[in-house]
Amino acid sequence: MAIDPKYSELVTNIENGDEDGGIEAAKGLLESGVDPLDIVQDAIMPCLKEIGDRFARMEVFLPEMMLAADVVKGVQDVLRERFSAIEVASEGRVVIGTVFGDIHDIGKNIVAAVLEANGYEVHNLGVNVDPKDFIKKAREVDADLIGLSSLMTTSIPYMRDVIDLVKESEVDRDRFKLIIGGGPVSEETVELTGADGWGENAADAVDAVRALMESG
Amino acid sequence: MQNQSRLLDIVDRAYDGPPCEERDFDLKHVAAGVARVVKEYDIGFDRSTFIQRDDDMIDRLFEASLDFLESCGVYNATTGRRMLFTGREIKEYVASAPKEAVIGEGRDAHTEVYRSVEDPRPPTIIGSPIGSPLSEDMYVPIMQSYIQEPIVDTTTPGTLDSTYGREPRTQSPYEVVAAWQEVDLIFDAARRAGRPGMSIGCVQMAISEIGHLSAISRGGYRPVDWHSIAMFSEMKVNNGLLIKVAHSVRTDGVIQSFYNPILGGLGGGEEGVAVLIVAGLMAMQLMYMAATHSSAPVTPLIPADTVPQLLRSMSAAHSALSRHTGMMTDLPISPLAGPGTETLLYEVVAAATVGTVCGASRLMGPRSATGVHLNHCTGLEARFMGEVGHAVTGTSREQAEEVVQRAVARYEPELTGKPFGKPFAELYDVAKVRPNAEWLGIYDEVKEEVASWGVDFG
Repeated sequence: MAIDPKYSELVTNIENGDEDGGIEAAKGLLESGVDPLDIVQDAIMPCLKEIGDRFARMEVFLPEMMLAADVVKGVQDVLRERFSAIEVASEGRVVIGTVFGDIHDIGKNIVAAVLEANGYEVHNLGVNVDPKDFIKKAREVDADLIGLSSLMTTSIPYMRDVIDLVKESEVDRDRFKLIIGGGPVSEETVELTGADGWGENAADAVDAVRALMESG
Repeated sequence: MQNQSRLLDIVDRAYDGPPCEERDFDLKHVAAGVARVVKEYDIGFDRSTFIQRDDDMIDRLFEASLDFLESCGVYNATTGRRMLFTGREIKEYVASAPKEAVIGEGRDAHTEVYRSVEDPRPPTIIGSPIGSPLSEDMYVPIMQSYIQEPIVDTTTPGTLDSTYGREPRTQSPYEVVAAWQEVDLIFDAARRAGRPGMSIGCVQMAISEIGHLSAISRGGYRPVDWHSIAMFSEMKVNNGLLIKVAHSVRTDGVIQSFYNPILGGLGGGEEGVAVLIVAGLMAMQLMYMAATHSSAPVTPLIPADTVPQLLRSMSAAHSALSRHTGMMTDLPISPLAGPGTETLLYEVVAAATVGTVCGASRLMGPRSATGVHLNHCTGLEARFMGEVGHAVTGTSREQAEEVVQRAVARYEPELTGKPFGKPFAELYDVAKVRPNAEWLGIYDEVKEEVASWGVDFG
């Protein structure tokens, strides 16, 4: 989808990771009377989608995605400040982290960045996350989905701990979808852990998250 | 090589270095640092080839990596500080890397050596599924299938899928039990193969320092085994890893370091990955006092290091380290395909050829079928990896490039599929630990084809 030329300054600043420039461009658009929801839907979302697609083609990389996400967060803050009654659109809220016992973060950060690039609100808990902390954060932000990452076979049991905590809770069972990913994860791991889905790689993770969200 | 004074100096830096937020380290020091040196030193690969032969560019890659390491340092995630090293220290420590190490004992002892680009001496062959999941009942025959191959000099085991029927959770008592079960089973496999003194890369079941310290103690792994210690993510360590180093230094173990940067991650593209490999392995020489240094870069899209971009990264990185240091480097091979497929063997040809002619001291693997699928690995593919490594030893980079081009052309179309092959029990007589006719037939056919490309298997 072609982006309206009036958004070109904002889009360029998002692509270049220039947060100050992005905020100024957003303020300029607001002052010229552009509806903030239009800014989100017609500029930010398609721009982030394009960045995600470029990553899938290995034309841009994790740093560009992280910086673009920073610009968007700054712009969203401006939109909220000016129009606090307006909720910025999101594809859904995701809590993501590397499970207990594992300290690998880059693969998980790539998935987080790709999800953000595709319009999801991502809460990244980092690495070596205690199972209970996933639940706590998901409740706090009213997440739609919890994403669990592990690069170690010996951390997979901790994925199942999170999943068991959710499935055994009457409060959370129907509230949070659970998706897993990481080097040793396969279809067998999904069966073993009881996850709702899995992502084979960063691009696949987005499709899997989208499918789970659509399944209700 | 290893000493406690140096160890303490390293640990001091984890507490004395400048504090830094982790995200700032990732973006301002790693990502921006790699991007800067790639540009300033004009690092660019020839996309029409896999083996990089522009020695001027390779030399600039080395200088760029030195510059990057000095400016970036290594992040200690426990203390939240950057561990910094001066350019002089980096050069001095790297120069102190051993050019030779004896591993194993008795008649199974093996001497591994530093290798130059196009070195006439063959690389050390580590026949191994490198941590691939193995079931308890199949662990010994599978590992025996690697160790019994005469061309295999050393091994490192797979990981146990369960430990006495329980899940082997890291940082729990199960980790200690599983680490000791690994000791028991891998030494049993070595005895059955008639090679009890073979050096073993360890401890696969010990992700945390808990299992590492336990299994490398009395009655467990020996100083003549190689003790494997990682640097995680991009240019990061933590105190758990430094505890492993402290233990292995004190017990006089041969240390093997490893670090696997991600294509498309903080280093960006394939040139950035090469910078991270060179800088990362030198960093681990500084911090870990390792004898050998390993890197298996990965991609977020295809879980194999045989993709063309990574072949170029590994070619350039190993060449740079070989041309400028005496470090013994290790090229792990992680194919997408699994046993019982031609694709796996073609992937092995490409990666083993790249490693051998670009100065790697060791070829390790193959970690077949992405290292994820239970029991999808056999010793026969390790035999083939060793045979290829020996056959292309001394080959010029130009000749080797032709071999790699042919191999990649055979497997690249399969990289978007799932050619994970078959499990061990469908390709081997398990009781006799012998490959069956089906798997041997595929092996023979591919070997014959590769020989027709000019690879002399003798």
